[in-house]
Amino acid sequence: MDDPKRYARLFNDIDGPTLITLAVILVCVVLLIIVSQRGLNWLANRLHGQVRFRVFALVPLTRLLILITALAIAVPIVIEPSLRNMVTVLGAVGLAIGFALKDYVSSLIAGVVSAIELPYRPGDWVDIEGTYGEVRHVGMRTVKILTPDDDLVTVPHLKLWDTAIYNANNGETSLQCVASFYLHPAHEAGWVRKALRDVALTSAYLKFDQPITVVAEEQPWGTHYRIRAYPVDPRQQFLFITDLTVRGKRVLSQAGVKAALLPPDAVMDSPDSAGGRRGQPPGR
Amino acid sequence: MVTLEEFTTPDSTQASQWQRTWRTVASRLMGERDTEQQAKQEHELRKLPETRLSHIVPSIDWSPAAELLAQALSRQGLESEPVVFFITPPHGGHGEVVGHWARQQGVDEIPPPTYQALTDGSLEWVKHCAPFKRWALPELERHMLRHSQGLQGVREFLERAMSGRLGHGVIGCDSWTYAYLQHVVGVEGAPVFTLQALEGEQLASYFAAIASSQEDELAVYSTRTGKLVLPRRDDQVRKATANGELQRLAAHCRGHLGVAWHYWRERLREPVSEHGAQAHSQKLWLLDALADAELPATTGDVAMLVLHALLLHGGLEDQALGDVLPFSHHEALNARLALTRQGILSCQGSRWQVAPLSYASVRQLLESRNYLVDPL
Repeated sequence: MDDPKRYARLFNDIDGPTLITLAVILVCVVLLIIVSQRGLNWLANRLHGQVRFRVFALVPLTRLLILITALAIAVPIVIEPSLRNMVTVLGAVGLAIGFALKDYVSSLIAGVVSAIELPYRPGDWVDIEGTYGEVRHVGMRTVKILTPDDDLVTVPHLKLWDTAIYNANNGETSLQCVASFYLHPAHEAGWVRKALRDVALTSAYLKFDQPITVVAEEQPWGTHYRIRAYPVDPRQQFLFITDLTVRGKRVLSQAGVKAALLPPDAVMDSPDSAGGRRGQPPGR
Repeated sequence: MVTLEEFTTPDSTQASQWQRTWRTVASRLMGERDTEQQAKQEHELRKLPETRLSHIVPSIDWSPAAELLAQALSRQGLESEPVVFFITPPHGGHGEVVGHWARQQGVDEIPPPTYQALTDGSLEWVKHCAPFKRWALPELERHMLRHSQGLQGVREFLERAMSGRLGHGVIGCDSWTYAYLQHVVGVEGAPVFTLQALEGEQLASYFAAIASSQEDELAVYSTRTGKLVLPRRDDQVRKATANGELQRLAAHCRGHLGVAWHYWRERLREPVSEHGAQAHSQKLWLLDALADAELPATTGDVAMLVLHALLLHGGLEDQALGDVLPFSHHEALNARLALTRQGILSCQGSRWQVAPLSYASVRQLLESRNYLVDPL
């Protein structure tokens, strides 16, 4: 018989003015989040270089701050903020979550963690379980990635707990690109190395304050060369690789260097080891 | 004349860059005309006739700079140095200075190779340099192309020259080309000279000095503030206080005389008389230095690549521009035409170059987007 009274003591009286206050808080939170998210995204998309990434990083952080502030205001209005009440309410909520909304809430918590640890932020180029693309939006529960094929992939934040996240530029403007060349073994390797370096040095997209490396790897079918270099803007990575490839092929072809003829059963490098994945963080 | 390490931009260059950014933002938000109140409206003024302009702002005589270069080489004992660089930004006159120096010293000038020789990677022009013992190369940017074949000649030439196999020489070079060659060839170790950036006071002295003696009564006012920019020659009292606007111009131009000269020439105006008659006014006006053809912050990648290519080569013809860009000649031409329509590019001979009045904003935008920029 005492139970209803005991639960009633958990909550404050929810009368008309209280409901209006909660509604006002809710509306303000929604409006603030919409305005801040759209405003910051609008601003960041008009900026370039490092500032762009800094502004993008503010998007999830701003939303998190707004939500925490709103909860700090709203919870004491609904619940009498004593230790016993909080333990009771949190226990009940935890039980519900444990049974019904485990993954959903796990993603929400991972979203909070992602806003603090910043494993990815809008503008970053990431690879999560084989999905490679530019982070377009970091939401509360999911991160939206736009792939080079123009597919928008939604990945829940809970991948953060147990999946390796490859971030190619990590909030910076430097993103290493790799252009591969598979050459017939009969060639002068020193000349090819210099020629490929010149190909990178004469690219309009090249970022000069990062190193250019030409890597050669001998294979049973020939030699695999890779130009590792950085474009001025991470968004130019595919144009940069294309430019390196097209001009590299032209130079090699003019010099009479032939492409490797791979036997049908040749074992190719995995995309990662061959540098086939477009953006790679430096040092990988 | 200073070494590259000693070069410093005018005091308020950074402030000028912030101002330019603010103006761009303000003009986007409030419209072009409302960004700043003007003391004198542009429609009340008109351009000066060409004949009078040639008296007030005659072409820059670079021969004194050539003498300064010779003195600097002599003073620092660099006359026997295998290679000495003299670099200036676009419109900065390095070709003229080194050309004057060559004539003063009676040394041979190395002519640039043909475009065909550059794209073929031919080394013939380098071989022709062998007989010279003292030589001058006024414009190194004409000897290279950002093309897989276009670096071989300049690389071979610099290797021979810097090792002393070509005797002693002075190389004039665009500062952007120099920055590029530092990365692709490696020109460290050779002494580099440039003209020290001018402050407002020095600009005032220069503009007063170049105006012909018939213009003794000339006084120039700012349309922005209405204040005196350049007092009459005999007005010693105002001379001390009139340099604010020219300091602003100096900061905007990063202290480069060539760019500032173009501003001065392009933005001088005289009042329109009431009846529209030709009035030979001694009171002239200088339009606001910052209100010129500016690139919007939203300028696309294609336009940026065109501008960067033009700057790295000290200007290019359409054919060469298409060859050094990673898209079709048609796209390159379209982008070049669009920039020309906006007044960002101008043609010198048959070569397209960033217009002097747009240079400051183009440089700032390229720098903000992490493109390689010049050291000046």
